Amino acid sequence: MAAIELEGLTKEYGEVVANDDVSFTVERGEIFGYLGPNGAGKTTTIRLLLGFISPTAGGGRILGRDITDERELIEAKRRIGYLPDDPQFDESATGREVLEVHAGIKGDERSDELLELFDPPLDRPIREYSHGNVRKLGLVTTFMHDPELVILDEPTSGLDPLMKQRFADFVRAERDRGLTLFFSSHILGEVRRLCDRVGIIRAGNLVTVEPIDALLHRSGKVVRVVTADSVPRSTFEDGLEGVHDLEVGGGDALDDAAVDAADSSPGGYREHTFTFTGAVDDLLAAVGEYDLVDLTIEEAPLESVFLRFYGGDEGV
Amino acid sequence: MRVFELLRYEGRNRVRGSIYLSIAMSLLAAIVIWVYPSFSESFDDIDEQFLQAYPDEIMALFDVQTMATLEGFLAFELYIFGWIILLGLYIAYLAAGTIADDVERGRMDILLAMPISRARVVAEKFGALAVPIVIVNVVTPVVVYVSAELVDEPLSAMDLVAVHALSIPYLFACAGIGLVASVAVDRTSIAQRLALGIVFGLFMLESLLEETSYEEVGLLSPTRYYDPNEILLESTYDLVSVGALLVMTAAFLVASQLWFTRRDIG
Repeated sequence: MAAIELEGLTKEYGEVVANDDVSFTVERGEIFGYLGPNGAGKTTTIRLLLGFISPTAGGGRILGRDITDERELIEAKRRIGYLPDDPQFDESATGREVLEVHAGIKGDERSDELLELFDPPLDRPIREYSHGNVRKLGLVTTFMHDPELVILDEPTSGLDPLMKQRFADFVRAERDRGLTLFFSSHILGEVRRLCDRVGIIRAGNLVTVEPIDALLHRSGKVVRVVTADSVPRSTFEDGLEGVHDLEVGGGDALDDAAVDAADSSPGGYREHTFTFTGAVDDLLAAVGEYDLVDLTIEEAPLESVFLRFYGGDEGV
Repeated sequence: MRVFELLRYEGRNRVRGSIYLSIAMSLLAAIVIWVYPSFSESFDDIDEQFLQAYPDEIMALFDVQTMATLEGFLAFELYIFGWIILLGLYIAYLAAGTIADDVERGRMDILLAMPISRARVVAEKFGALAVPIVIVNVVTPVVVYVSAELVDEPLSAMDLVAVHALSIPYLFACAGIGLVASVAVDRTSIAQRLALGIVFGLFMLESLLEETSYEEVGLLSPTRYYDPNEILLESTYDLVSVGALLVMTAAFLVASQLWFTRRDIG
């Protein structure tokens, strides 16, 4: 039984389709990142999953329970932790009082241990809490009943870098204990560090679901080659598999106008920068013939991966 | 899950406000009783001289029967004005905030992510309104009784207990109206205005349509079923009316639960 199974989940608000036929499965024990820009429909999917809103069409199961049946969903919720993107607690209550209510309703297996990691000022009223402290309290309430599945909406917004690191370590350790984690994010850096698989949503439509490694692999490397002497452009453009978006500079063609007229440049260039999805061995073989001044091979930023999904031909 | 966890939490949160409310209503009661001796001495025949001065519509609106006794004076000045109108409106206002405020401020998400049904959330938050309703009806009669003794106009303790006890189902019915408004609208301020408007509107309708051919419309108003004059002046306790208020309250509660269970949050 998968942790989350969605089938054709659709939510319409009048003309606006917030989720359009969204289907995917989150397996037990994985960390699944749900990615997309603000307004893409990430929160809508989460609210549908938790039964806060009901789907216009389609449905799904969470921990094996039907998300459109309140009674079944309540059974699942005993084993689910949830933290919204902007958690709100009763302003007049103290952190301790909030934890007591949560303990009373869903149980408390491990709040002591969690409070050592995330340490909100429990004896102060929530209205005096900073944004970060509200999040810390939220993380404690999310994990205190030792859930099997945790759903986090933009989990690290509002945490300082130290807490982000602590959170990332914590989440990975939880995954190793068997926890399933589903979280949404529009911050790409988080995805890399945490996820096993990602789903990408754009304007209510699920664009792709794939392992983070595959996504990174598809995005390729950014290669910059600087040679002592000019090299014909065709060396990389035609002579090597997997070269994209080639840009050139230096060499005989020093000004922009000449670069624009690159095809007609006879001498070639000293500097080549391109996105590379081919085999690194082939790349090294190709550049091995030349006298190298500099060679860098870097992972492509995830932003460029995103651009491929979001930008399309319009080029955002 | 601990039983009534939410009810206990919400109830505790209401204690402080309820004490302030009780102090305010007790003050009102004390002032009304303190004024009465000098008021009654100013007239040879209050009902003849004073009540004639009011237009009949006002007399009907507030159901003024007599001011020749402290009971009659209290029924009008404290119970019809203070309890039926002021307190009824206030309790409806409080109830209107219960669900809508949590939804509007985004607190409902964290609550509903826990294993608790929406019907239960509605019921327990509604149940917590028993705290102000009961506390104000326990504190104030003590103040009323003692004050009446002090001005030498002793009241029947039994009638006094009854007039407060029977106001409890009335106030719950008002709370029920507020609760319906609270689940129907997302914005707290609108829910509150709606609740105040409905409770006051029903009071006016019931009072003004009395003895007209539209009298039946008043059957829908909680005010029809709570009559301080009858209790204080005639020692009549109408348990059928109490039943009607309880049925009305249950209907509002169930309607709110069904509505809240079916709607989208946020």
